[in-house]
Amino acid sequence: MIKHKPLYQAMKDAVSQTLENMVFMEVTEHYDQSYEIPAEELTWAYLVIQDPVQAEVRLALPKTLLEDLTTTVFSLEAEEITQAQMDDILHELLNTITGLFMTRLLEDNQTYKIGLPERGEGELPEVDADSIAWKLMTSDEAPLQIFVAGASLVALSDSAE
Amino acid sequence: MKRIIIADDSATARMFIRRCLEIIGLGDAEIVEAEHGKEALAAAKEKPTDLLLTDLNMPVMDGETLVKWVKSSPKLCDLPIVVITSAGNPAKEAQLLELGAHQVINKPVSPPVMLAALEQFIKE
Repeated sequence: MIKHKPLYQAMKDAVSQTLENMVFMEVTEHYDQSYEIPAEELTWAYLVIQDPVQAEVRLALPKTLLEDLTTTVFSLEAEEITQAQMDDILHELLNTITGLFMTRLLEDNQTYKIGLPERGEGELPEVDADSIAWKLMTSDEAPLQIFVAGASLVALSDSAE
Repeated sequence: MKRIIIADDSATARMFIRRCLEIIGLGDAEIVEAEHGKEALAAAKEKPTDLLLTDLNMPVMDGETLVKWVKSSPKLCDLPIVVITSAGNPAKEAQLLELGAHQVINKPVSPPVMLAALEQFIKE
C-alpha cells in the first residue's frame, strides 16, 4: 500500500507554490466550478506519472492567459513571443506542479517517476469517475484548470481525506 | 571567469536558472546551455568547467545518467554537480547524492535557494 498525504492539499500547495514562484501569480478556486474554457480559447498539456501510480496530470488555460504569462516571463512584447516559448512555459509549469504534487503527496522515502510534458491536441478528455478536476482562477479571474486522471492515483483521495 | 553548464530541456527553466545566477553574483560567468544530458556532457568535455547544473527529467539523456557519466569519467569526476529538479524528494535526493551529485535543489528555483546551494562555490 502506498503511504501518502492528503491529495487535495498536495495539489493545492503545488499549484500555489509553482505559480507564485514562476509567474508571480496567486490563484483561488473558481467561483463557478461548472465553468469550461471555450474550445477556441483552450490550450493544454499533459504529463504521465509512471510510478508508483499510473496517472496523467493535465493543465489547461486560455491562450490569452498563456500569452500574458509568456510576455511576463520572457520580458517580451506580445508580438515577439513564439508558439515554442508558450509551449515551453506551459510544459515547465505542468512539470513543476506535477513534481511538487508528487513530492507533497508521497511519504519521504517513496520515490516516483514522471514522464515529459506533451502538448494536448483538440478537446480535453472528459472528467470521469477516475478523474479529479480543480478549477481555479487568477486574481484577474482568468481560468486555470488542473486535472488528474488515473484510477490508482484518484483512489488515494479516499483513503486519507 | 567561471564556466557553468545549465542542462535542462526547458528554455523557461534555463532562463530562470540564468537569472538566479545573475542575481546571486554569477552574472559574469560563461554560461553554456544544454537541452539534455548528452549535450551537457559534450560541453563539459570540450572545455574545463567549474559547475554543472542539471535537471533530472530530460529527453535523450536524463540527469541521473549524466551524473553517472560525469562521475565515472576520470577527466570530469571532480566537476561539482547540482541537480535542479521538480521530481525530487528526500529518497531521490539521497540516491543522487550517493551517485555523486553535490546538491539537490527543488524547482521552482529561487535566488535565495540557489545562493544557499552555491555559497561555497561562489567563495572559491
